[in-house]
Amino acid sequence: MLTLHQAGLTNTPAIAPLDGTIRPGELLAIVGPNGAGKSTLLSMLSGFRSAEQGELHLDGKPLRAWPITELANRRALVAQQELPGFDWQTDELLSLGSNPAKSLVAALLNDLDLTHLAKRSVLSLSGGERQRVMIARGACQLLSRCSPTAKEGGILLLDEPTSALDIGQQQRLMRQLRSWATQHHMAIVCVLHDLNLASTYADRVWLLNQGQRIDHGLPNQVLNPATIAKIYAAELQHIEGGTHGKPLLALAP
Amino acid sequence: MIALLNAYRYRMLIPVNRTTRVLAGLTAALLLALVWAAASGALGISPWEVLRGQEDPFSVQVWWQLRLPRLLLGVAVGAMLAGSGAAMQGLFRNPLADPTLLGLASGAGLFVAVWIVLFQDSGAGSLYGQFAAGFLGALCVCLIVFGIAKRQGGGSAAVMTLLLAGLAINTLAGAGGGVLAFIASDEQLRQLSLWGMGTLTNALWRTTALALVLIAAALWLLMRSARELDLLQLGEATAHAAGLDASHLKRRVVIATSLGVGICVALTGVIGFLGLLVPHCLRLWLGPGHRLLLPASMLGGALLLVVADTLARTVAAPAEIPVGLLTSLLGGPYFLYLLMRRNRAC
Repeated sequence: MLTLHQAGLTNTPAIAPLDGTIRPGELLAIVGPNGAGKSTLLSMLSGFRSAEQGELHLDGKPLRAWPITELANRRALVAQQELPGFDWQTDELLSLGSNPAKSLVAALLNDLDLTHLAKRSVLSLSGGERQRVMIARGACQLLSRCSPTAKEGGILLLDEPTSALDIGQQQRLMRQLRSWATQHHMAIVCVLHDLNLASTYADRVWLLNQGQRIDHGLPNQVLNPATIAKIYAAELQHIEGGTHGKPLLALAP
Repeated sequence: MIALLNAYRYRMLIPVNRTTRVLAGLTAALLLALVWAAASGALGISPWEVLRGQEDPFSVQVWWQLRLPRLLLGVAVGAMLAGSGAAMQGLFRNPLADPTLLGLASGAGLFVAVWIVLFQDSGAGSLYGQFAAGFLGALCVCLIVFGIAKRQGGGSAAVMTLLLAGLAINTLAGAGGGVLAFIASDEQLRQLSLWGMGTLTNALWRTTALALVLIAAALWLLMRSARELDLLQLGEATAHAAGLDASHLKRRVVIATSLGVGICVALTGVIGFLGLLVPHCLRLWLGPGHRLLLPASMLGGALLLVVADTLARTVAAPAEIPVGLLTSLLGGPYFLYLLMRRNRAC
């Protein structure tokens, strides 16, 4: 469990102090317009940038007090599209940062529809395939280090995990994330641009604008068309009665 | 060699033993090369006869005092240059990084030349002075190059900037060397020009013993960084989350590389392109994982330099070609080829 107590960043890009709790088994979406500070917030949650105000606690202990190697057992980060420098094979890349059992690698490759690419060079994959490989690596880092019976499966931080995926892959990925969250008691934090994905799959949403979290809560509370249209400076049409009463937002022509 | 070929052919079938097989094969090849190198030279001396005490005293003297330290220095310098090339490529996440291309070697060379011309008193401290000057020169260039890399962030533009910075440093060091040659005395000039071409002729026990110890320490530091270099390939933020302290890793690799390369240059002058050529070829064959690539590069670099040096001192015997010329003749065209291939891919 990750808790924030008035945690924030003062140097640019800044994040205004915020409170919050990220619990095992939930899927939290962070949304907001370009430059709102979503990636910066994510790097603060991961400890890559340490909070300059307030405190973050992971499992009751300040984030900065954790040794960096132990922290790696409890949270993983998948940054935005970064190209590995060299010609790694997909299954080798999955094992970077942990020492996973072969069965785990195979299961994760299967989860993300990558089995046929296991022996391919990562540099030869398409953008969407590579993105799924990097997400699988993040999950692999957590799952190979946690015992399967652990009450908490760690925190997986994902920066725009669907940016290169087609709609079918988006759906499979979001469903997979949900299933990892429930099966392994993993907390999953996603920076998302697609508000409908956030609305459909997230348990809770944090809405960011200009370095401030301006709203947080259930998707149907936070993602209301009036606020969204204002913050994103977009003209929307609201379609009522999306799946299970969750809001659907579409651009006005 | 057969073990090598087999390891290659059955790469997929024997992933567990592959590391052992590859390293054993390379070690065997290196030992064979050493036996051949120990037996050939301007003076035909059989190492077996020497060890059994059946050669004449002069040959024994030559073998123990000249040839053996030279072989060992060749192994150490080859391993260091290729190993530091592999480590720097991992650190910059780019296959074109190399201690000669980025100017480390010429920076070290300039500092050593300054030491020879301005400070050397030909006393007992001169050797340590040369080592220290080489280390400082390489360290300065390393810090400059890192400063530039940090400003640029990632991406292919940054790589071009790095190579251009290396070019500028190489040019600057060349000009500095010219100035030094201008003000040097005749004796110093002779010393400078012999050393500057890149040769293992200076190998005497007096100089080699200390160099071997320091280079071994540098290699050990690099070997300890293998797993972390692998992690770094994920990008800094992701690698941090996977348990990597990147600044610690950088500091260690920079110190090991500067120390090792500085000492190599202080003793042998600039021997170019080993650090580019060897890791690159081995990566094509073994993949990018540093736990295998680093030791394999060290063995491969040692093998290549021992062979090149033996050729350099035998093809025109009793005259000797500077081995640095030989490696540059080999590595220069290869580098051009790499650049052309890269541009086509972009």
